[in-house]
Amino acid sequence: MHAILRQACSARPGVVLRPQMARSRVFRAPHLSRTLVTKRYTVEHEAVEYDDTTGLGVVCLTDHAQSSLGDVVFVELPTLGTEVSKGDQIGAVESVKAASDIYAPVSGTVEEVNEALSSQPGLLNKSPEEKGWLCKIKLSKPDEMEGLMSEEAYKASWA
Amino acid sequence: MTLPALYHYFRTPLPYVQTLALQERIHQLQLKQRATSSHKDLLLLLQHRPVYTAGRRQSEESVQDERARLTNIGADFVTTARGGELTFHGPGQIVGYPLIDLSRTSPPGRVRDYVCHVQKALELHLLEAHGIKHATSDHTGVFLDANTKIASIGIQVRHRLTTHGFAINITREPIPWFNQVVACGLADVRAGSVEGVKGREIDVHGEIPGLVTRVGRMLGREFLPMNLAEEGEVGEAIGAAEKEALEAGDWAKAPVGTESE
Repeated sequence: MHAILRQACSARPGVVLRPQMARSRVFRAPHLSRTLVTKRYTVEHEAVEYDDTTGLGVVCLTDHAQSSLGDVVFVELPTLGTEVSKGDQIGAVESVKAASDIYAPVSGTVEEVNEALSSQPGLLNKSPEEKGWLCKIKLSKPDEMEGLMSEEAYKASWA
Repeated sequence: MTLPALYHYFRTPLPYVQTLALQERIHQLQLKQRATSSHKDLLLLLQHRPVYTAGRRQSEESVQDERARLTNIGADFVTTARGGELTFHGPGQIVGYPLIDLSRTSPPGRVRDYVCHVQKALELHLLEAHGIKHATSDHTGVFLDANTKIASIGIQVRHRLTTHGFAINITREPIPWFNQVVACGLADVRAGSVEGVKGREIDVHGEIPGLVTRVGRMLGREFLPMNLAEEGEVGEAIGAAEKEALEAGDWAKAPVGTESE
């Protein structure tokens, strides 16, 4: 399914595609496109996938992060409507008796949180970058995306 | 490769709140000093004055009844941001706070491995120093059998710097306090101690050198004794906490007004 979507992306670059959130690829659609979804990473192992049409960034922990943490038993999420600055602590993930803080990768307002994590914290292990997303932030400074790492740079940072 | 690091052992039981503030202060200093790579990994070893502490996922609302009940029997009660649930700290139990930078190694240390290494150090100490074999358990912490826990772990990681740590019961003194609560969310588990297993008195201070070595071995650090005068703001903060502990006076030796064993 994803492969088909990706093919569709490259085959018809001009079409406005609304890819599902939390995909691991960076979509670089050429000039005709109206939607640009970019995914960037932080050294704290968060990823943010930004859709410039909605202005929303979906924040998640990376697959590498969840494997480093071990079985997640509790996720502390930010409060809806909270205004956050890049680097602010916005929650925590608890695994094997360790609470690891999570930080806002970008500045903005918390528009949505993934309530499913309250009852199913294990989603963060099973599907960290898709079903286990943490929150959606309406970016107040979209330029901050440029300061984050590309997938390649992120992988190089811990490999 | 073994990284040089420093430890400090407080001989007088410390009040929890002030020690939490000390950890926080050191964490902030490490974070600041990391910018110039001048931060050091530290290990604080101590006993606390009697205190019950709650973990990150326990809301103030969910613990307010316990707070009232437990402060009534002579202990402090503090909510924290560490992993794990309700536990007890007090004299007769050694608490260790490894304040270390997991990103010192390449690749950076994984959180689950760190917890595992701390646990292995405690298991190793019980075995080598006391001939005590631990029982395997699905739960984190060190168990003597399926229903008896002798050591606990609860940590917090921020920017890959650790705070909080472990606690291991040496004497029998903590046991009646543990009997007042369901510790770590495990209803059918009781607390055990080295003294309880060995059936003789064990000196808490005497445990420190061996424990330091084994924690260091498992964490890949060589912890050397800290000279407070040479460690700037960190040394001053530790010195101040020590002074405060000396001034705090006596503490409750057993839960007040309860039938303890």
